[in-house]
Amino acid sequence: MNDNRSAMEADPEINPDVLKSRFGRDIARDFDLDDPRFNEQFDETLNFMVRKCPVVHSQVGTGYYLVNTQDEVRRIAQDWRTFSSAKGYQPNRPEGLPYLMPEESDPPIHTKWRHKLNPHMSPKTVAAYEQPIRDDVNALIDTFIGKGECEFISEFGALLPGWAFFKNILGVPVDDLPMLVEGVEEGTFGPPEERAGHFARVFEYLDTHLKWRQTQPRRGDLIDTIQDGVTYEDGTEAPWEHKVSILVDLTFGGIATTTFVMASAIHHLANNPDVRQRLIDDPSLIENAIEEYTRFFPPVVALGRTCTRDVEVAGTEMKEGDFVMLTYAAASRDPRHMDEPDKIDITREGIPHSTFGVGPHRCIGSNLARIELITTLEEWLKRIPDFSVKPGTEPRHVTGFLRSIRELQLVWPT
Amino acid sequence: MRVRIDGENCSGHGRCAKYAPNVFRLDDDGYNADRGNEIDVPAGEEDKALLGIKACPERAISIVDA
Repeated sequence: MNDNRSAMEADPEINPDVLKSRFGRDIARDFDLDDPRFNEQFDETLNFMVRKCPVVHSQVGTGYYLVNTQDEVRRIAQDWRTFSSAKGYQPNRPEGLPYLMPEESDPPIHTKWRHKLNPHMSPKTVAAYEQPIRDDVNALIDTFIGKGECEFISEFGALLPGWAFFKNILGVPVDDLPMLVEGVEEGTFGPPEERAGHFARVFEYLDTHLKWRQTQPRRGDLIDTIQDGVTYEDGTEAPWEHKVSILVDLTFGGIATTTFVMASAIHHLANNPDVRQRLIDDPSLIENAIEEYTRFFPPVVALGRTCTRDVEVAGTEMKEGDFVMLTYAAASRDPRHMDEPDKIDITREGIPHSTFGVGPHRCIGSNLARIELITTLEEWLKRIPDFSVKPGTEPRHVTGFLRSIRELQLVWPT
Repeated sequence: MRVRIDGENCSGHGRCAKYAPNVFRLDDDGYNADRGNEIDVPAGEEDKALLGIKACPERAISIVDA
């Protein structure tokens, strides 16, 4: 144990009893991502950990660590040789859940797939989807603008990312979106013992879709690229299961995440008329505002790696096989790298956040997500410039290794 | 000003080219097209380049000669 760790242990704020009374448990020594108190005290917990605890431990299941500072998160994320993704990204991974390519693999397998998939999600490629996505933003707003209220998640936020991804990239019918959203949501936030079953339904659906596409003429799209596959280093062809898992991984990322940033931005603007007015007066600020909202409202709280050897992280000795979560959500508010990280400042420039991850596994959909978010704010503020949270209601959050909003009631004058 | 783009750590966030499009170019994958190399920052583009360097979540761009 080095000085870093000893200092943490000696800090009166990190005394087990002090932590229990403040956070409901000793979060330095027995953190739990699924603890309802973490959901309720999300900001406070992150702000505390990034300042006081570079590393915390969890005793849940087989146990895991969380690494919370920006420098350490970056170092680990980039050092894939020591911190492998091949054993999965979630702690206490559900039994029977197949590994997801390319997210749950390391170079060179990961590199092979990413090089094939990246061109389908590059800034240049997704720029062509901006207008269709903007049209969908307006089509969704059309469905509720006249009634002067909406439940933002079910009527907009849970739909747009799926529409953007399914219509423009995956070619899956949008009518099947609700079933997939439910499978992904329940597979993430549902009772742990039921999660694998929900994922199995998503696998089955996408397996069927991929098989059906084999019978269809080629479209030269992402699905065809996946069908074409890759040859691994040992000369073997990527198996069918890997191809299906890529679709699952992309679907998961495409529909389970952007909703949260979108809803959080709208919620913040509902409560802050001054910020809203600034963006209405100068829409050129929206792009930067989205970057700040993305920093502050991370849908991916933390993703994990498995140590391939004994290694020290910020004074904590980790053993080969230990599971370590990179708390992107905490790293994005590291006071060592930005002023007043706990404040939302839509004019903050050059925002060094890790919401889209760090290292070779950087979110492949980051360019698409930004378009969805920017077009949403641009069109929403044009059409519904004056809106607020419905009196007597409050948004409901849910948190695990991901964070999401389940309900956000809005009203506006008609 | 001369900068170096790390060949391994660039992961295609695209922030450099967003803040300094006249300095940093992306390839078809969306990664810095000059990764693994050094490039000169055109005169007058230094501030934008610095912002792009700051915004890189990988810290993949370093200043070789200010």
